[in-house]
Amino acid sequence: MTMTMTKPAESHRHRTRRRLSRLITNLWLVAALVVLTALIASQRPQLLDPGNVVAVLKSFSIMVMMVLGLTWVIAAGKIDVSFMQVAALSNMLCAWGLSQGWGWWPAIGAGLAAGLAVGLLNGWLVAVMRLPALIVTISTAGLCASLAAALGKGTVIRIATPGPVASLLEPQLGGAVPLIVLPVLALAALAWFVQERLSMGRYIYAMAQNETAVRSVGIPVVGLTLLLFVFSAVCAALAGVILAENLASGQPMIGGPYLINGLTVVLLGGMMVHVGKPNILGTLTATLFIGVLFSGAALLGLPDYQRQIIQGALLLTGLVVAMLAARHHGERRKGG
Amino acid sequence: MSGFQDNMRQSARGVGFLALVIAVGAALAIAEPRFLSSASLNGIARHMAANGLAALGLTFVVIVRRFDLSLPGVAAFAGMSMGAVIAAGAPLWVAVAAGIAIGAAIGMVSGVAISRFGLPDIVTTIAVGSICAGMAFLYTGGRSIFQNFFQVGITDLNDARLMGLGVSLWILLAIYAVAWFVMHRTRTGVAFYATGENPVAAHFSGIATKRYVALAYVLCGVCTALAVLLILAESGNAETNKGANLMMPAYAGVFLGAAILGGTSVLATLGGILLITMLLDGFALMGVPYYYSDGMISLILLAGVLAFSDTARGWLASFGIRRAFRRSAPGEKG
Repeated sequence: MTMTMTKPAESHRHRTRRRLSRLITNLWLVAALVVLTALIASQRPQLLDPGNVVAVLKSFSIMVMMVLGLTWVIAAGKIDVSFMQVAALSNMLCAWGLSQGWGWWPAIGAGLAAGLAVGLLNGWLVAVMRLPALIVTISTAGLCASLAAALGKGTVIRIATPGPVASLLEPQLGGAVPLIVLPVLALAALAWFVQERLSMGRYIYAMAQNETAVRSVGIPVVGLTLLLFVFSAVCAALAGVILAENLASGQPMIGGPYLINGLTVVLLGGMMVHVGKPNILGTLTATLFIGVLFSGAALLGLPDYQRQIIQGALLLTGLVVAMLAARHHGERRKGG
Repeated sequence: MSGFQDNMRQSARGVGFLALVIAVGAALAIAEPRFLSSASLNGIARHMAANGLAALGLTFVVIVRRFDLSLPGVAAFAGMSMGAVIAAGAPLWVAVAAGIAIGAAIGMVSGVAISRFGLPDIVTTIAVGSICAGMAFLYTGGRSIFQNFFQVGITDLNDARLMGLGVSLWILLAIYAVAWFVMHRTRTGVAFYATGENPVAAHFSGIATKRYVALAYVLCGVCTALAVLLILAESGNAETNKGANLMMPAYAGVFLGAAILGGTSVLATLGGILLITMLLDGFALMGVPYYYSDGMISLILLAGVLAFSDTARGWLASFGIRRAFRRSAPGEKG
């Protein structure tokens, strides 16, 4: 009883239709992105102005950096709600270091080291001590938020001198593309390769299905879990450093909105390519989708809270679709 | 393990917990003598009432082994709704009823989505919380609501006293007493625990497990609405950020209480929230800046959960410490 067996009598037309339907489930979000962009651009042509495109791509790069690691944590069936506060901490630490006269590279190093430390703490508590991931990351999030605020005594720290990332944030390539997109996309491509072509990617998805089974066939689940949490925190810390450069300041409260944004893009991205499973390509598309949606909403003059409602509704819709898709797959598997 | 030993261990934990409360209280009183003043103790009672109600709601959800991250959003929306009803000139009981109804309705949405349709609890409640937090702005676009607050008598919930104790504390104790009776002395309570411990076995024992999961979220929504009611009563106005500080103490109270008293229960949550509120108010009195409070609760929560986790206990056992306590446990070489 193999699932992949195809009936020899299947007609050519049938096969084309099946291939088409698979293409639609894989790439519908890309189509939705194009439709959304066209719709908003027809109402507000400013959406495609070089200045606006730069802004969208900049926030896209920062968001992708923020949730690259989170994508795998959720794909492995765990949760990390500390990533946005890790970014806030690294952001503040970077700004604070600069205000102490450290220079940019030590400041960036300090930010990333903070991310590494929090990631190790999260990973150790979840993987080795076997504590629930939500409780652990909720606590480390609170801890990071407090430390971030304490560094600036509750207020913003300004950064006077532009640093090494500043030139990457300037618009280049016809004035519409900040170069920061390139390294971020390269990193995402590397992650996509690991997820699709290396056995580590298989293990991540297997862990979400049955961790005990994965453990008992000899895959180092503890080390892998540790690695996932460290990767998530370091990615978020990197995003925090880029934010410090982009805003020319350390903002202790910057983390808040990224929690729901990050979860939305990861879960919405999980609706495409591998339906029901968060994956890198999906996260990229969903991040761009949300970026265009927010930029459009701002151009159309929607207030902040309406965007929040729209986003929550999107997240819920994504969840329902993912669940229906998973159920559909399950039934087909049973039928085959 | 015999029931007698079980009782002994339970009361030993209780005594240990009381000792901890006294030790923390003494330490705070030595560090800051004003801690024991009547103003400070009244403050603790008031804050404990709001924190305790939110934590009680979370307790039901944790007992059925789920999480709820919509607390701040539900609190914001229920709080602003109650404020809008009061500002419209309605009597207080109408506002409270509206708040309870809204809390129950939101809890029902999350609960049914999670239990009936099988959506993941954490992300669903984050999404619902986000929508609610957005909807809190619908009434005034984010401005504070204060009209009619003093005429309607909501501040009495904060100021009035009964037999020497604040009304809000009596409300807390009454609701906890009812919750304790239902959860630990009736079949309904047993059904809640069974749903959490082993949903399959509970299902085949004739318990409508999905209904209990949904009910837990409804109760959590109602408790959150009542908690924010007490916060509105204390401040005398409604703002969209009123519930922002409810969630961390609630989680810390539930899990710290469970860690110290050996399992999630109504009394464990009451104990946990007492400890957390004492610490928070004590630190505030000592002039520790506000932004340290979340971090300190987080540290306490982490330390508590870690110290009482199975793995930590296993480590202690490997050092031979547990042997002194559990000589009779099977499969252990004395």
